Amino acid sequence: MTQRWGKIAMGKVINDFVINVATANGTGSQSSNLVILHSMFEMGVPVSGKNLFPSNISGLPTWFIIRASEEGYQAPGDTTNIQILMNKDTWLEDLEKLDSGTIVVYNTDVRLPVEREDCTLLGMPMTKMARKLNPKLGRLMANMYYVGALAHLLDIDEIAIEKAVAGQFKGKEKAVELNIQAISEGRSFAKDNWDFECQFNVEARDKDPKSFLIEGNEATALGCIYGGVNMLSWYPITPSSSLAESVIGWLPDLRGDGNGGSTCAVIQAEDELAAAGMVIGAGWAGGRGMTCTSGPGISLMSEFIGLSYFAEVPGVIWDVNRVGPSTGLPTRTQQGDLTLLYEASHGDTQHIVLIPGSVDECFEFGWRAFDYAERFQTMVFGFSDLDLGMNRWRTTGFQYPDSPMDRGKIVRSQEEMDSIANYGRYRDVDGDGIPYRTLPGSGLDPILYRGTGHDEEGVYSEDPQVYHDAMSRLKKKIDLARTSLPAPILREEEEKQVGVVFYGSMENTILEIDDILEQTGLSVSTCRVRALPLHPEVEEFVDRHDTSIVLEINRDGQLYGIMRKEIPAELVPKLNSVAYSDGMPPRARVYADKILEVLEGVVK
Amino acid sequence: MTVMKLNVLDLEKSEYTGGKSSLCPGCGHDQISNVIIQAAWENGIEPEKIAKMSGIGCSSKTPAYFLGKSHGFNTVHGRMPSVTTGANLVNKGLSFLAVSGDGDTASIGIGQFVHAIRRNLDMVYIIENNGVYGLTKGQYSATVEKGSKKKKGNPNQQAPIDLCAMAINLGCSFVARSFSGSKKQLTALVRAAMSHRGMAVIDVISPCVTFANNDESYKSYNYVKENDEVLHILDYIPHFSPIEEVEVPEGEYQEVSLFDGSTLRLETIAADHDYTNAVSALGAIHEAEESGNHVTGLLYYDPEVPTATDTLGLTETPLVDLPEEMLRPSRESLDGVNSGFRS
Repeated sequence: MTQRWGKIAMGKVINDFVINVATANGTGSQSSNLVILHSMFEMGVPVSGKNLFPSNISGLPTWFIIRASEEGYQAPGDTTNIQILMNKDTWLEDLEKLDSGTIVVYNTDVRLPVEREDCTLLGMPMTKMARKLNPKLGRLMANMYYVGALAHLLDIDEIAIEKAVAGQFKGKEKAVELNIQAISEGRSFAKDNWDFECQFNVEARDKDPKSFLIEGNEATALGCIYGGVNMLSWYPITPSSSLAESVIGWLPDLRGDGNGGSTCAVIQAEDELAAAGMVIGAGWAGGRGMTCTSGPGISLMSEFIGLSYFAEVPGVIWDVNRVGPSTGLPTRTQQGDLTLLYEASHGDTQHIVLIPGSVDECFEFGWRAFDYAERFQTMVFGFSDLDLGMNRWRTTGFQYPDSPMDRGKIVRSQEEMDSIANYGRYRDVDGDGIPYRTLPGSGLDPILYRGTGHDEEGVYSEDPQVYHDAMSRLKKKIDLARTSLPAPILREEEEKQVGVVFYGSMENTILEIDDILEQTGLSVSTCRVRALPLHPEVEEFVDRHDTSIVLEINRDGQLYGIMRKEIPAELVPKLNSVAYSDGMPPRARVYADKILEVLEGVVK
Repeated sequence: MTVMKLNVLDLEKSEYTGGKSSLCPGCGHDQISNVIIQAAWENGIEPEKIAKMSGIGCSSKTPAYFLGKSHGFNTVHGRMPSVTTGANLVNKGLSFLAVSGDGDTASIGIGQFVHAIRRNLDMVYIIENNGVYGLTKGQYSATVEKGSKKKKGNPNQQAPIDLCAMAINLGCSFVARSFSGSKKQLTALVRAAMSHRGMAVIDVISPCVTFANNDESYKSYNYVKENDEVLHILDYIPHFSPIEEVEVPEGEYQEVSLFDGSTLRLETIAADHDYTNAVSALGAIHEAEESGNHVTGLLYYDPEVPTATDTLGLTETPLVDLPEEMLRPSRESLDGVNSGFRS
């Protein structure tokens, strides 16, 4: 394995390092960590941050990983270069894990041994200094002193820090002042007391003035608002709650009627079943209803999802995936719900799943999901995950929807009704598998919607042929959606040797994986799947390459299973699965090694 | 020459009927369906403005048998309230008329029932309560009285859930109990419920002729007829024809003013029943229960409870009628969002 130390200029490693901050949650460390992240971002340093937090409000261990990478790598790195030690509970363990030569910045007030002679040990009495600055807030303020320590070690620009603090404590002048002072005291202490020149430095780069960092959940929420959502039902669950809360936060600014009224109803449901029921009720009545949840919620919503499929009622559900099965690891990330979403509910079903891989796509698929739902009269899933949803990612700004809302095949007047020959609620009169529908209140073709078997007029039926035909049309409808859904993003090499098929938040690691693979002499193309059912281009990509890896963050290779089932049998031998999940955001080295292992047996 | 009888909208009653029932002959539920047809017709509600909602079970099949001009949704078991909630939030212009059963409401759907009441969802919620699961061939439901016995099997050993008592405890704005065999009382209550704004729960004892109409069943025809403790005689006076002759001595009736301007006149029988008082209403229920009776009539009424949509601060127009420019914020607004994040 090659150790990657980035670009070295005059003995310095510039903009290429990993910081790991170990704290306990509920101590205000998130603010400190975001100040570090945003101040580096402010300087134009390519940086990413990952919050590894517990399912707990106060007192359990939390780690925040900040990575600067001139290559633009956003995965947590393989090695920690600078370790911040604040949490006594994980102190010894955190220390033990470090590679020789790591820089360790620790709070001497924790009073635990720091026995790593092979590392650079830099202590600071952070709690004492914080208490002196503000006796009441000492515990929270202590975390700002490691910001100061890092600012000194890495040479983070003072103005950038001030800007980041101001952004973090928007509108709270006193807090801004106090935190800036704490950081400055930390910086001075480090300067005066540590006789050490840090080899890692940040160096300002031209920052695209358009760029900013945002969590995927907030991007999705904004997308939904621009998609015209008018009914949001939700039940709190990590890691999706912040999606609903972002919608709630933005509605007054973006969706007022000008007279103090809102154009979107928000309701906190009694459980996920009710949340899904409300989405279906809204869709049936002609609204744009959505909910957001995570895996456990999808399990509970499954019955309603089947109703949506069979009775053909539009709706949108965002799944921000966390680690399953069962309650699993509620605050860790995974792509473990893909199969569940695609085939949710009993009987034969198949659902449209949109899979964003960036915050820009979170926004875009946020609004598009409603168009697909109404166009295809079915439940449409947005599939995000904790990593994408709850960490901050870069964008240069969201693009306004490039097409008007698609309200689908709704008959709104008697004239429209009369122009449709042989209308029936469930009759495919156009050959696209999609029937026309009418809305309650219109008086047009009033039928009793049902989850029981029904004929083309919507009347109860147990007739074998009627059932078979209805199910065949549903299959056709979803099948014909393939070419309308977002096509995969292909990055192809001429050699067409190895193709890596992946999806979702793996986008943030794929570049680094690709570089590691290509260092071994392989030629690697990538194909990022952005929707289910699979776009025909995915199959063509597999066909063009000698061999393909389906890469995903789960145990069983869920997309691999779907592809095996759906691509032509002669292409199946070209497919190989690399699936791995431990709850952590994907680290490039882990997945690259697993790919190489599989390829060893395949590529001659 | 025969003159067709028309309602206030000049519609014949046939405009309010539905398909042919497939329930057992003599089923109480069919009588309730007829009452719904009668009530909607007499009240002069536009059929297309009604949304029929139901869950799963014998009762929940009945929306196919009434109001054929109204859209409806036969949803999933016990989850009708949430579907109704979603539809109500986006189209508060619809009149929601829901039919559920005792299994659908008191067991699998009790959570959604409770929360729909808590939100005071603007709907009529009729429970066709027969104490058994008919569609799965006669298992006891959670509303069956202790000691009551269905046609086959042992007497029920568990205490019942009284849905009216529960609704009152939850602050439901309109709570009534009736009997499918009391056509006049039931019609007046359904008409009043349709004139109410908010959650109107009517628990209708509706005997299951196939599995629990034996005399040992507390919800059989004979038993209910003999043990019906009627609170008051009810007359519904619609807002569009306010003058109606009712021969009752002065001071022995009360008038309930309903949201749409109609009136429910209660001729007092049980003099001490105060329908505005939850304690009085709960007392009436528990006393009747102790003596093995069913108390029927308007149990509780509170017109002041805000509805689900009242509390959400929504725009005046039903959300489904909003044009795209009110649903999708402007291009300039997105520029503002982007630049806000940049600064």
